[in-house]
Amino acid sequence: MHELGIANDILDIALAEAKKHGNRRITRVDLEVGVLRGIVPENLVFLFGHVAKGTIAEGAHLAIEEQPARVECGTCGTTEARVFTIGCPGCGSPTARVERGDAMRILSMEIDD
Amino acid sequence: MKVDIGREIQQSAEETAGKIRGLLAARNVFSVNLISSPGSGKTTLIEKAIEALRGRIRIAVVEGDMETDIDAARIRRHGVQVHQINTRSSCHIPPFLLLSALDHLDLDAADLLFVENVGNLVCPAEVPLGEDLRVVALSVAEGDEKPLKYPLVFKTSDLLVITKTDLLPYVKFDTDRVKTAARAVNPRVEVFEVSSYTGSGLSSFLERIEELCRRKIG
Repeated sequence: MHELGIANDILDIALAEAKKHGNRRITRVDLEVGVLRGIVPENLVFLFGHVAKGTIAEGAHLAIEEQPARVECGTCGTTEARVFTIGCPGCGSPTARVERGDAMRILSMEIDD
Repeated sequence: MKVDIGREIQQSAEETAGKIRGLLAARNVFSVNLISSPGSGKTTLIEKAIEALRGRIRIAVVEGDMETDIDAARIRRHGVQVHQINTRSSCHIPPFLLLSALDHLDLDAADLLFVENVGNLVCPAEVPLGEDLRVVALSVAEGDEKPLKYPLVFKTSDLLVITKTDLLPYVKFDTDRVKTAARAVNPRVEVFEVSSYTGSGLSSFLERIEELCRRKIG
Protein backbone atom coordinates (compact mmCIF):
# COMPACT_ATOMS: atom_id res chain seq x y z
CA MET A 1 0.00 0.00 0.00
CA HIS A 2 2.87 2.42 0.59
CA GLU A 3 3.50 2.54 -3.15
CA LEU A 4 0.39 4.74 -3.45
CA GLY A 5 1.94 7.54 -1.38
CA ILE A 6 5.16 7.22 -3.34
CA ALA A 7 3.26 7.36 -6.65
CA ASN A 8 1.60 10.58 -5.47
CA ASP A 9 4.97 12.06 -4.48
CA ILE A 10 6.42 11.21 -7.88
CA LEU A 11 3.47 12.83 -9.62
CA ASP A 12 3.71 15.98 -7.46
CA ILE A 13 7.41 16.39 -8.20
CA ALA A 14 6.98 15.70 -11.92
CA LEU A 15 4.08 18.18 -12.23
CA ALA A 16 6.05 20.84 -10.33
CA GLU A 17 8.99 20.37 -12.71
CA ALA A 18 6.71 20.43 -15.75
CA LYS A 19 5.28 23.75 -14.58
CA LYS A 20 8.74 25.30 -14.97
CA HIS A 21 8.64 24.18 -18.62
CA GLY A 22 5.24 25.49 -19.65
CA ASN A 23 3.24 22.47 -18.44
CA ARG A 24 4.17 20.41 -21.49
CA ARG A 25 3.00 16.81 -21.56
CA ILE A 26 5.15 14.37 -19.56
CA THR A 27 5.96 11.21 -21.51
CA ARG A 28 8.47 9.44 -19.28
CA VAL A 29 9.77 9.59 -15.71
CA ASP A 30 13.04 7.90 -14.69
CA LEU A 31 13.48 6.68 -11.12
CA GLU A 32 16.23 5.00 -9.14
CA VAL A 33 14.98 2.68 -6.41
CA GLY A 34 17.18 0.64 -4.07
CA VAL A 35 16.46 -3.06 -3.69
CA LEU A 36 16.19 -2.67 0.11
CA ARG A 37 13.21 -0.33 -0.27
CA GLY A 38 10.80 -3.22 -0.54
CA ILE A 39 9.07 -1.63 -3.51
CA VAL A 40 7.35 -3.76 -6.09
CA PRO A 41 8.04 -1.97 -9.41
CA GLU A 42 4.89 -3.36 -11.05
CA ASN A 43 2.74 -1.95 -8.22
CA LEU A 44 4.38 1.43 -8.48
CA VAL A 45 3.94 1.56 -12.25
CA PHE A 46 0.28 0.58 -11.92
CA LEU A 47 -0.44 3.11 -9.16
CA PHE A 48 1.42 5.91 -10.92
CA GLY A 49 -0.69 5.26 -14.02
CA HIS A 50 -3.76 5.51 -11.82
CA VAL A 51 -2.87 8.76 -10.01
CA ALA A 52 -1.61 10.41 -13.22
CA LYS A 53 -4.98 10.04 -14.96
CA GLY A 54 -6.44 13.38 -15.99
CA THR A 55 -3.08 15.17 -15.60
CA ILE A 56 -0.38 16.07 -18.13
CA ALA A 57 1.45 12.95 -16.94
CA GLU A 58 -1.35 10.61 -18.01
CA GLY A 59 0.12 7.69 -19.95
CA ALA A 60 3.73 8.61 -19.05
CA HIS A 61 6.12 5.66 -18.90
CA LEU A 62 7.58 5.15 -15.43
CA ALA A 63 11.06 3.68 -15.88
CA ILE A 64 12.48 2.17 -12.68
CA GLU A 65 16.18 1.49 -12.42
CA GLU A 66 16.97 -0.78 -9.50
CA GLN A 67 19.94 0.25 -7.38
CA PRO A 68 21.59 -2.95 -6.18
CA ALA A 69 22.75 -3.33 -2.60
CA ARG A 70 26.52 -2.93 -2.28
CA VAL A 71 27.94 -5.51 0.05
CA GLU A 72 31.34 -4.77 1.55
CA CYS A 73 33.10 -7.93 2.63
CA GLY A 74 36.35 -8.08 4.60
CA THR A 75 37.11 -11.47 3.12
CA CYS A 76 36.56 -11.05 -0.62
CA GLY A 77 36.08 -7.32 -1.24
CA THR A 78 32.94 -5.69 -2.55
CA THR A 79 30.06 -7.27 -4.39
CA GLU A 80 26.75 -6.03 -5.66
CA ALA A 81 23.61 -7.91 -4.75
CA ARG A 82 20.23 -7.65 -6.44
CA VAL A 83 18.52 -9.75 -3.81
CA PHE A 84 19.09 -9.27 -0.11
CA THR A 85 20.94 -12.16 1.48
CA ILE A 86 22.53 -12.69 4.84
CA GLY A 87 26.28 -12.78 4.50
CA CYS A 88 28.40 -12.04 1.47
CA PRO A 89 26.87 -13.08 -1.89
CA GLY A 90 30.44 -13.67 -3.12
CA CYS A 91 31.97 -15.90 -0.46
CA GLY A 92 29.25 -16.40 2.16
CA SER A 93 31.17 -14.62 4.93
CA PRO A 94 28.69 -13.68 7.67
CA THR A 95 30.56 -10.49 8.52
CA ALA A 96 29.76 -8.72 5.23
CA ARG A 97 28.03 -5.34 5.55
CA VAL A 98 25.31 -3.93 3.35
CA GLU A 99 26.34 -0.37 2.53
CA ARG A 100 23.87 0.79 -0.10
CA GLY A 101 20.58 -0.07 -1.71
CA ASP A 102 18.09 2.34 -0.16
CA ALA A 103 17.93 5.04 -2.85
CA MET A 104 14.60 6.45 -3.92
CA ARG A 105 14.88 9.40 -6.25
CA ILE A 106 13.59 10.84 -9.49
CA LEU A 107 16.50 11.13 -11.88
CA SER A 108 14.86 12.89 -14.82
CA MET A 109 11.81 13.02 -17.02
CA GLU A 110 10.91 13.50 -20.67
CA ILE A 111 8.46 16.16 -21.77
CA ASP A 112 7.11 17.08 -25.19
CA ASP A 113 9.39 19.35 -27.20
CA MET B 1 13.03 16.95 -24.16
CA LYS B 2 14.87 15.60 -21.15
CA VAL B 3 14.56 17.43 -17.83
CA ASP B 4 17.07 16.55 -15.11
CA ILE B 5 15.50 16.41 -11.67
CA GLY B 6 17.66 14.49 -9.18
CA ARG B 7 15.25 14.82 -6.25
CA GLU B 8 14.60 12.47 -3.37
CA ILE B 9 11.04 11.25 -3.59
CA GLN B 10 9.93 11.71 0.00
CA GLN B 11 11.22 15.26 0.29
CA SER B 12 7.85 16.56 1.48
CA ALA B 13 7.81 13.92 4.22
CA GLU B 14 11.36 14.94 5.18
CA GLU B 15 10.33 18.59 5.38
CA THR B 16 7.41 17.84 7.70
CA ALA B 17 9.61 15.55 9.78
CA GLY B 18 12.04 18.47 10.10
CA LYS B 19 9.22 20.62 11.51
CA ILE B 20 8.38 17.91 14.04
CA ARG B 21 12.04 17.63 15.00
CA GLY B 22 12.28 21.41 15.47
CA LEU B 23 9.11 21.55 17.58
CA LEU B 24 10.26 18.72 19.84
CA ALA B 25 13.72 20.28 20.18
CA ALA B 26 12.18 23.63 21.16
CA ARG B 27 10.07 21.93 23.85
CA ASN B 28 12.96 19.70 24.93
CA VAL B 29 11.17 16.43 24.28
CA PHE B 30 12.92 13.18 23.28
CA SER B 31 10.89 11.17 20.78
CA VAL B 32 10.79 7.46 20.06
CA ASN B 33 9.20 6.00 16.91
CA LEU B 34 8.16 2.47 17.86
CA ILE B 35 7.62 0.12 14.91
CA SER B 36 6.65 -3.55 14.70
CA SER B 37 4.20 -5.98 13.18
CA PRO B 38 0.71 -6.00 14.70
CA GLY B 39 0.72 -7.90 17.97
CA SER B 40 4.43 -7.75 18.84
CA GLY B 41 3.76 -5.99 22.12
CA LYS B 42 4.38 -2.30 21.35
CA THR B 43 1.58 -0.98 23.54
CA THR B 44 2.59 -3.25 26.42
CA LEU B 45 6.20 -2.03 26.16
CA ILE B 46 4.96 1.56 26.44
CA GLU B 47 2.81 0.65 29.45
CA LYS B 48 5.86 -0.94 31.10
CA ALA B 49 7.94 2.15 30.36
CA ILE B 50 5.30 4.44 31.89
CA GLU B 51 5.25 2.41 35.11
CA ALA B 52 9.03 1.95 35.34
CA LEU B 53 9.90 5.59 34.65
CA ARG B 54 7.06 7.15 36.65
CA GLY B 55 8.27 10.05 38.77
CA ARG B 56 11.52 10.37 36.79
CA ILE B 57 10.55 10.90 33.16
CA ARG B 58 7.25 12.45 32.07
CA ILE B 59 5.90 10.37 29.20
CA ALA B 60 3.41 11.37 26.51
CA VAL B 61 2.12 8.97 23.87
CA VAL B 62 0.77 9.21 20.34
CA GLU B 63 -0.99 6.03 19.28
CA GLY B 64 -1.36 5.14 15.62
CA ASP B 65 -3.89 2.60 14.38
CA MET B 66 -6.02 2.33 11.28
CA GLU B 67 -9.17 2.37 13.42
CA THR B 68 -10.38 2.64 17.05
CA ASP B 69 -8.96 4.28 20.16
CA ILE B 70 -8.47 0.99 22.02
CA ASP B 71 -4.75 1.61 22.54
CA ALA B 72 -5.21 5.21 23.66
CA ALA B 73 -7.75 4.02 26.23
CA ARG B 74 -5.20 1.50 27.55
CA ILE B 75 -2.52 4.17 27.85
CA ARG B 76 -4.90 6.70 29.40
CA ARG B 77 -5.52 4.37 32.33
CA HIS B 78 -1.88 4.92 33.31
CA GLY B 79 -2.57 8.63 33.81
CA VAL B 80 -0.34 10.03 31.07
CA GLN B 81 -1.11 12.29 28.12
CA VAL B 82 -2.15 10.37 25.03
CA HIS B 83 -3.54 11.20 21.61
CA GLN B 84 -4.90 8.64 19.17
CA ILE B 85 -4.35 8.93 15.41
CA ASN B 86 -6.61 6.89 13.14
CA THR B 87 -4.92 6.58 9.79
CA ARG B 88 -7.98 4.95 8.09
CA SER B 89 -6.52 3.58 4.87
CA SER B 90 -2.89 4.50 5.53
CA CYS B 91 -0.53 1.74 6.63
CA HIS B 92 1.76 4.06 8.60
CA ILE B 93 1.63 7.38 10.47
CA PRO B 94 2.36 10.10 7.90
CA PRO B 95 4.40 13.03 9.26
CA PHE B 96 1.61 15.58 8.76
CA LEU B 97 -0.73 13.57 11.02
CA LEU B 98 1.89 13.40 13.75
CA LEU B 99 2.52 17.13 13.46
CA SER B 100 -1.18 17.90 13.98
CA ALA B 101 -1.42 15.30 16.78
CA LEU B 102 1.25 17.22 18.71
CA ASP B 103 -1.21 20.15 19.00
CA HIS B 104 -3.29 17.95 21.31
CA LEU B 105 -0.46 17.37 23.76
CA ASP B 106 1.09 19.68 26.34
CA LEU B 107 4.69 19.19 25.29
CA ASP B 108 6.01 21.41 28.07
CA ALA B 109 4.72 18.75 30.46
CA ALA B 110 6.51 15.91 28.66
CA ASP B 111 10.11 14.66 28.52
CA LEU B 112 9.65 11.57 26.40
CA LEU B 113 7.21 11.09 23.53
CA PHE B 114 6.43 7.56 22.41
CA VAL B 115 4.95 7.39 18.92
CA GLU B 116 3.44 3.95 18.46
CA ASN B 117 3.28 3.45 14.72
CA VAL B 118 0.67 1.42 12.85
CA GLY B 119 1.47 -2.29 13.17
CA ASN B 120 3.45 -2.98 10.02
CA LEU B 121 7.09 -3.90 9.35
CA VAL B 122 7.18 -2.44 5.85
CA CYS B 123 5.76 1.03 5.29
CA PRO B 124 6.62 2.81 8.58
CA ALA B 125 10.29 2.10 7.82
CA GLU B 126 10.03 4.41 4.81
CA VAL B 127 8.58 7.36 6.65
CA PRO B 128 10.58 9.76 8.84
CA LEU B 129 8.74 11.18 11.85
CA GLY B 130 11.46 13.48 13.13
CA GLU B 131 12.26 11.00 15.87
CA ASP B 132 15.39 10.96 18.03
CA LEU B 133 15.28 7.20 18.32
CA ARG B 134 13.76 4.50 16.16
CA VAL B 135 12.95 1.24 17.89
CA VAL B 136 11.83 -1.90 16.08
CA ALA B 137 10.19 -4.65 18.13
CA LEU B 138 10.08 -8.26 16.94
CA SER B 139 8.31 -10.95 18.93
CA VAL B 140 9.77 -14.45 18.99
CA ALA B 141 6.43 -15.80 17.76
CA GLU B 142 6.95 -14.04 14.41
CA GLY B 143 9.96 -16.11 13.39
CA ASP B 144 13.66 -15.41 13.12
CA GLU B 145 13.77 -14.67 9.39
CA LYS B 146 12.12 -11.24 9.64
CA PRO B 147 15.30 -9.12 9.29
CA LEU B 148 15.98 -10.98 6.03
CA LYS B 149 12.47 -10.47 4.71
CA TYR B 150 12.00 -6.86 5.85
CA PRO B 151 15.54 -5.44 5.90
CA LEU B 152 14.73 -1.72 5.69
CA VAL B 153 13.12 -1.40 9.11
CA PHE B 154 16.10 -3.17 10.68
CA LYS B 155 18.52 -1.02 8.69
CA THR B 156 16.93 2.21 9.87
CA SER B 157 16.34 1.37 13.56
CA ASP B 158 18.64 2.30 16.43
CA LEU B 159 17.36 -0.35 18.81
CA LEU B 160 15.95 -3.82 18.17
CA VAL B 161 13.82 -5.25 20.96
CA ILE B 162 13.12 -8.95 20.78
CA THR B 163 9.85 -9.36 22.71
CA LYS B 164 7.89 -12.24 24.27
CA THR B 165 11.08 -14.18 25.12
CA ASP B 166 9.00 -16.16 27.65
CA LEU B 167 7.60 -17.99 24.60
CA LEU B 168 11.03 -19.18 23.42
CA PRO B 169 10.53 -22.75 24.71
CA TYR B 170 7.44 -23.10 22.52
CA VAL B 171 8.54 -21.55 19.21
CA LYS B 172 11.30 -22.09 16.69
CA PHE B 173 13.31 -18.89 17.03
CA ASP B 174 17.08 -18.56 16.80
CA THR B 175 17.96 -15.33 18.58
CA ASP B 176 21.53 -15.35 17.26
CA ARG B 177 20.25 -15.66 13.70
CA VAL B 178 18.17 -12.53 14.17
CA LYS B 179 21.06 -10.60 15.67
CA THR B 180 23.42 -11.63 12.86
CA ALA B 181 20.90 -10.70 10.18
CA ALA B 182 20.03 -7.38 11.82
CA ARG B 183 23.68 -6.45 12.24
CA ALA B 184 24.42 -7.33 8.60
CA VAL B 185 22.14 -4.49 7.50
CA ASN B 186 22.81 -2.29 10.51
CA PRO B 187 26.10 -2.77 12.40
CA ARG B 188 25.22 -0.08 14.97
CA VAL B 189 21.89 -1.63 16.07
CA GLU B 190 21.60 -2.33 19.80
CA VAL B 191 19.68 -5.50 20.63
CA PHE B 192 17.58 -6.13 23.75
CA GLU B 193 15.72 -9.30 24.68
CA VAL B 194 12.66 -8.76 26.84
CA SER B 195 9.56 -10.41 28.18
CA SER B 196 6.87 -7.99 29.30
CA TYR B 197 5.10 -10.99 30.85
CA THR B 198 7.90 -12.08 33.19
CA GLY B 199 9.73 -8.74 33.24
CA SER B 200 12.96 -10.36 32.05
CA GLY B 201 15.29 -7.90 30.28
CA LEU B 202 12.90 -4.96 30.64
CA SER B 203 15.07 -2.98 33.03
CA SER B 204 18.12 -2.89 30.77
CA PHE B 205 15.98 -1.82 27.81
CA LEU B 206 14.21 0.91 29.77
CA GLU B 207 17.46 2.10 31.38
CA ARG B 208 18.87 2.57 27.88
CA ILE B 209 15.80 4.54 26.81
CA GLU B 210 16.10 6.73 29.91
CA GLU B 211 19.83 7.26 29.33
CA LEU B 212 19.30 8.32 25.71
CA CYS B 213 16.40 10.56 26.74
CA ARG B 214 18.47 12.29 29.43
CA ARG B 215 21.31 12.77 27.00
CA LYS B 216 18.98 15.02 24.99
CA ILE B 217 16.86 16.73 27.62
CA GLY B 218 19.55 17.03 30.29
